[in-house]
Amino acid sequence: MDLTYPATAEEFRQRVQSLIAENVPPGFTGTGALERAERDKFARRWRRTLAEHNLLAVSWPAEYGGGGLSPIEQVVLSEELARAGLPHGSESDMFGIQLIGNTLTVWGTEEQKQHFLPRILSGEDVWCQGYSEPEAGSDLASLRTRAVLHDGEWVINGSKIWTSAAQFANWIFVLCRTDPDAAKHKGISLLLVPMDQPGIEVRPIVNMLGEAIFNEVFFTDARTSAANVVGPVNNGWTVAMTLLGFERGASATTDAIRFEAGLERLFALAREHDRHRDPHIREQLAWCHGRVEVMRSRGYQALTRFLRGDNPGAEAAITKIMWSEYFQRETELAMEILGPEALTPDGRGANGAIAMPDPGTANTSRAWVESALTARSATIYAGSSQVQRNIIGEQLLGLPKEPRVTR
Amino acid sequence: MDFALSTEQEDFRVAIRRFVDERSPLSAVREAVQTDAGHDTGLWSRMSQDLGLPGLLIPEKVGGSGATMVDAAMVAEELGRGLVPSPYFATVALGVVPLLATVPSGIGAGVQADVLTEVAAGGCTLTTAMTEPRAANSLAPVSLRATATGGRTTLTGRKIQVIDGHTADKVIVVAVSAEAESRYGFYLVDGDAEGLTRTKVETLDLTRPMAHLELDGVPTTRLGEPMSWSEVERVLDRSATLLAAEMVGGLEGAMTLAVEYAKVRHQFERPIGSFQAIKHRCAEMAVELDAARAASLHAAYLASTDDPGLATAAPVALATAAAGFAFAASWDIQIHGGIGFTWEHDAHLYYRRAKADEVLFGSPRQNWLALADRLGI
Ligand SMILES: Cc1cc2nc3c(=O)[nH]c(=O)nc-3n(C[C@H](O)[C@H](O)[C@H](O)COP(=O)(O)OP(=O)(O)OC[C@H]3O[C@@H](n4cnc5c(N)ncnc54)[C@H](O)[C@@H]3O)c2cc1C
Repeated sequence: MDLTYPATAEEFRQRVQSLIAENVPPGFTGTGALERAERDKFARRWRRTLAEHNLLAVSWPAEYGGGGLSPIEQVVLSEELARAGLPHGSESDMFGIQLIGNTLTVWGTEEQKQHFLPRILSGEDVWCQGYSEPEAGSDLASLRTRAVLHDGEWVINGSKIWTSAAQFANWIFVLCRTDPDAAKHKGISLLLVPMDQPGIEVRPIVNMLGEAIFNEVFFTDARTSAANVVGPVNNGWTVAMTLLGFERGASATTDAIRFEAGLERLFALAREHDRHRDPHIREQLAWCHGRVEVMRSRGYQALTRFLRGDNPGAEAAITKIMWSEYFQRETELAMEILGPEALTPDGRGANGAIAMPDPGTANTSRAWVESALTARSATIYAGSSQVQRNIIGEQLLGLPKEPRVTR
Repeated sequence: MDFALSTEQEDFRVAIRRFVDERSPLSAVREAVQTDAGHDTGLWSRMSQDLGLPGLLIPEKVGGSGATMVDAAMVAEELGRGLVPSPYFATVALGVVPLLATVPSGIGAGVQADVLTEVAAGGCTLTTAMTEPRAANSLAPVSLRATATGGRTTLTGRKIQVIDGHTADKVIVVAVSAEAESRYGFYLVDGDAEGLTRTKVETLDLTRPMAHLELDGVPTTRLGEPMSWSEVERVLDRSATLLAAEMVGGLEGAMTLAVEYAKVRHQFERPIGSFQAIKHRCAEMAVELDAARAASLHAAYLASTDDPGLATAAPVALATAAAGFAFAASWDIQIHGGIGFTWEHDAHLYYRRAKADEVLFGSPRQNWLALADRLGI
């Protein structure tokens, strides 16, 4: 066993550090310290810089503009970005780079990869995820949105819901039913659909923070080329699972890095409010530290598996439960530390972060209250905690599935 | 960068696991705990002489195998999984660890070398006596003080709940040093020394025997130099790492019992494991097992590299494993229903171990609070 990084990774770290030094102003503590508009502007510029240096889509092969970085270099990059308080791309990059981009590197045709991947990096194409439907959430395979081939085009009818960042996107990847007569999981295909067309309407949904982050997307004879199917027609379920693997599994190596800055902020919050002497608070703070260290150790294990070429299996479900439930407990502890101050949120907020806010975020009541509210969603999206426990129970422990309801 | 057991370590683990399954099934555990020793002495000869388990941490120079804390922790985990009653934990975690920690400089000659040589050869078991009836001192739970008169050091007082205290060939007594009030020492005492009375007592954990010790002018030798209480704690962190590993094994053992039963027991025409009220508790056990194993492995790794980070990693491992083990062991009984509450069923053996381990090195709460201190929160 050995936790030291190889020399090549340390050389890479130096390169990243000097790139950062060249691009952030002196005294920079992280994008969280910037006002929202300023933050967004800075983040766009920084994204371009990362793209120019092939550091945006780190896991893609270099021939498509990806970084072609080894897993350990990816972790080094995350460490350095977190340390400097810099984002790794935009919010939409989660969908473009992590989800559909990575999935295309596995399932895409050569033409698809050459066409779509560079456009994601340049920012020309911005993606969103059309999976969930009003009647198909956890039971995703019961989705009803229909797609029919007609004159060399897919014609799509139906609706998607909870589509994050659809208002910023010009492309959506859509799980559609392409064979209604096949078994539930069999007749599904993953289609790539341009959003700038009359057949698509996006209606915002205001979330419990009062922000319009996600949307409903309606498809009325919407069209996309017959070639825009990922993987074989009617094999979309397998493709969809590959994509969900990227959504759930990938974070194991970087979760501790994601959460440690927030924990430091929480320690400081306890001191500022003179709650750090309260044994109950101390116990909870120490527990938080313990969980972050558990995530760090799990991160080393995940990295080791990566380096050995093993893919994360059902333990990705453990990763998802671990970070999302930690996030809730940590932010609720912050509310407890704030006490009555939480009743009237004040100061700079969390800049609309979808998980832990950026490093440098002010230690305000508003930022923590927003994080605590946001954290409620973490155990719902990307597979709810209940769904993850089913996966752990059935796939990891071999417990029997629930009997099917027969009508 | 490699944070996993090597192939040799994995092979070793499998061998130990097989040994435990074959030689110490829970039926044999039940027989062993009824003997005077509280463990199967024949089994221990195999473990100590054939497998060399007590010598794992001992340098090759004095007859050990010079393995690391990661290896010792792995063995602790496998023994914990099977609740194997044996002098392994006391001898290694409470004996070899303080002996190695108090070696002046480089193991060569000296009392430590002599004892370690005997331990490595499989001819000597050890333990540490720490707890006192009323832990008076608020900073440290130890008030028994060594006496030095005429070049002779002796110990007089009472130590309780000494693991394997009735069988250990040598006992290491943690005491206030004769030299200074705020300094502590590890004092070595022969198990059959004059003035030492050892009484085996009833234990909550049937698989971990304990004795109360009465010391009346017992001759002793101090190991190493007197030290501050926080230096004592650095030694105990290493012992705690092995306890955490043992609890990880216990957690897995309890979880396995629950999961296997949930697969076969049917009610309402379906296996009870198909009910989410049961399945999700099992899944939570798996999450906590994963967390505890990660924390324990990390602590063992830091211990193996003498990393000062162990001071915070050890309480994380201890509290995480203890809470997870207690959770799994209590739900294991619940998932078994009435049969889980019987003497014949093994569920209570795990529950007793879990609840005892939960306080042995401080409760999870105490460990989180100690961690908060160490983090300087
Ligand atoms: C902030 C946010 C962003 C999102 N972004 C996107 C996006 O960009 N694209 C997209 O496609 N989707 C998105 N989603 C949707 C998300 O994937 C779904 O909300 C999720 O799959 C749950 O589906 P549902 O909301 O229909 O809840 P349901 O599936 O109806 O679940 C309701 C409750 O029932 C429980 N439940 C369901 N099935 C079971 C079961 N078998 N056993 C036990 N309990 C069960 C759930 O755990 C939950 O507690 C987003 C959701 C949120 C909250």
